[in-house]
Amino acid sequence: MLSIKDLKVDIEDKAILQGISLDIKPGEVHAIMGPNGSGKSTLANVLSGREEYEVTGGDVSFLGEDLLELEVDERAQAGIFMAFQYPVEIPGVTTATFLKSAVNAVREARGLEELKPVEMLRLIRQKADMLGIDHKFLQRSLNEGFSGGEKKRNEMLQMALLEPKLAILDETDSGLDIDALKIVSDAVNQLRQDDRSFIVVTHYQRLLNYIVPDYVHVLYNGRIVKSGDKNLALELEEKGYDWIKEEVAAGIPSL
Amino acid sequence: MSTALLEQQSETVMHFQQLFQEKEQKLNGQANAPLPRLQRLAMERLAETPFPTRRNEDWKYTATTRILAPAYAAGQEVDLAAEQVKAANIVCLDAYVLVFVNGVYSAKHSQIYGMPPEMTLWPVKDALKDDRFRPLIEAQLFHEENQVHNAFEHLNMAFAEHGQFIHVPKNVVVDKPIHFLYISETEDQPVFTHPQIIISLERSAELTIIEHFTGTVNAEAPYFTNVANRFHVAENANLKHYRIQDENMKAFHVNNTRVRQDRVSTYSGYLVDLGSRIVRNNLGAVLLDESTNTNFYGMYFGRGEQHIDNQTFIDHAFPHCESNELYKGIVNDKASAVFNGKVLVRQDAQKTNAYQQNSSLVLSPKAVVDSKPQLEIFADDVKCSHGATIGQLDENSVFYLRSRGLSDQQARALLQHAFLKEVLDFMPEEKVINASEELITKKFQGEF
Repeated sequence: MLSIKDLKVDIEDKAILQGISLDIKPGEVHAIMGPNGSGKSTLANVLSGREEYEVTGGDVSFLGEDLLELEVDERAQAGIFMAFQYPVEIPGVTTATFLKSAVNAVREARGLEELKPVEMLRLIRQKADMLGIDHKFLQRSLNEGFSGGEKKRNEMLQMALLEPKLAILDETDSGLDIDALKIVSDAVNQLRQDDRSFIVVTHYQRLLNYIVPDYVHVLYNGRIVKSGDKNLALELEEKGYDWIKEEVAAGIPSL
Repeated sequence: MSTALLEQQSETVMHFQQLFQEKEQKLNGQANAPLPRLQRLAMERLAETPFPTRRNEDWKYTATTRILAPAYAAGQEVDLAAEQVKAANIVCLDAYVLVFVNGVYSAKHSQIYGMPPEMTLWPVKDALKDDRFRPLIEAQLFHEENQVHNAFEHLNMAFAEHGQFIHVPKNVVVDKPIHFLYISETEDQPVFTHPQIIISLERSAELTIIEHFTGTVNAEAPYFTNVANRFHVAENANLKHYRIQDENMKAFHVNNTRVRQDRVSTYSGYLVDLGSRIVRNNLGAVLLDESTNTNFYGMYFGRGEQHIDNQTFIDHAFPHCESNELYKGIVNDKASAVFNGKVLVRQDAQKTNAYQQNSSLVLSPKAVVDSKPQLEIFADDVKCSHGATIGQLDENSVFYLRSRGLSDQQARALLQHAFLKEVLDFMPEEKVINASEELITKKFQGEF
């Protein structure tokens, strides 16, 4: 589904990602962990199409297409969804209007007919109910005045509506209390299916108790220095990142 | 004034005088009826009053020379198909409709039956013949409280043949909005029209009017709509005034609207400017007694080489009055917009609340905004604020919307729409909001 080969990325001439390779097959959940400043969010942002990053080397292919050649909206239409760490507040655009525009834009790009208003409303309400979102939220301006948990829940609602092939969660759990965390995890777990993959970027192992990953990768200094299964996350939780930093410093091979 | 400007102006006035004489010659014994008498007076005043130029501080950004350059002829009625009128109308709006084609009232396309019998809606020329109404009209035309009438207003009075007078007696609430639909259907001859609405609301009366200007897209020559309105809102009365200005992109539009308010009265203006090559709006409210409420909510969107100039004036002379003013606009391409809003709080106007805000989005490097919110306060116990912001679309928001599949154009249109929506949300009449939104959407998509 997604194949990243030796990806190198700079921001303002500073090398942030220094050769990342990752292969994600349909239905898999990959967790990306690592200390602050290791390049986790950069990886997520580059995949989503942010322009302030300069790709200096490597390839990313998504369902056979060269992902880096696609505009941000084309990526969304092709089936990539990024749940942002800091969703933007947009006064004056109601959540409902925004969701309708997004669903229809993606449907049109995928060769499907636009939904009729009634069908659209039914769909949005159904997904909102699934996520325990009050319908009143839909009439409020997008993310304006939403709490952190409400914003993340709104991201999950968008994900549920846009039905991506690959969803990237960029530190979606940061700052959430356990109730909000469960809602986010429930949403992901309900959407897990054989042809849908997830990249879960997180700082904290706790999320992975709820979203159980198939693989865990540790990013450090712009490289994946260790990969394993969910037990690696538990080990990191117990021992912190220092032992990994030491291993890297000692030149111990990562796999 | 420079000699070149003087020459141009005297040529213009001579042209107007010639048109006026031609009109007079067709009066056939009606020359001493009240309207022609007033018009002659206005023509005399016009000859004494130069048109404003850029040297006048209040006209610094808008060249009247361009508006006055074409050799205009008076508008002639043309026969419009019912579908054409319907297409220009506001969808589903339940209103009394007065249709004017090239400034000429069209009874055929209008629908004014069923109005409350107590009220009066008459052509100004007939109302002037009635002893009850003539004093009301003259009081409005000749008052010059704190504001000297400009040449465009004299020009309007000299040529306005189809002005309308509305009188609503005390306690009468007019059940539906009165929609003035002005359609310009011109071709290769420059035409000018002079819409005029004079309103007199008596104590505790209520009325909603909609001024609505549209023009056919394929006109070769420019046309000039020169509006002058006079509204008097008596004690505890309430006037809601919508204006949708969607002239074609060659048109010139000058709108002088003067409001006078008595005690505890409310005037609310909902003002949408989307069309015209050059538009200049002068909107002024003079507060004649205590505890009035005045609201000016304006929005505009300029593209191409459009120039949109809004000049507002609110004169607080008595205590406990409140005024709210919010103008929001977007300019793109080489368009320019001017906001010059003046709020005067005189010494006796204690406990005044006056708020004024102008916010603009400038979307291209060649678009220009000049914003000048002015607050002059001579009283010491007041709450007043004013401000102006000028910005661009938030690129983070654009990115966020695009990351959900919206195209760059869709994302930008949605954000621009959201910016203007704050103003539209003040409108009580949902059908007018919908009509305005539809027009705005078309403009965003580049339709003219």
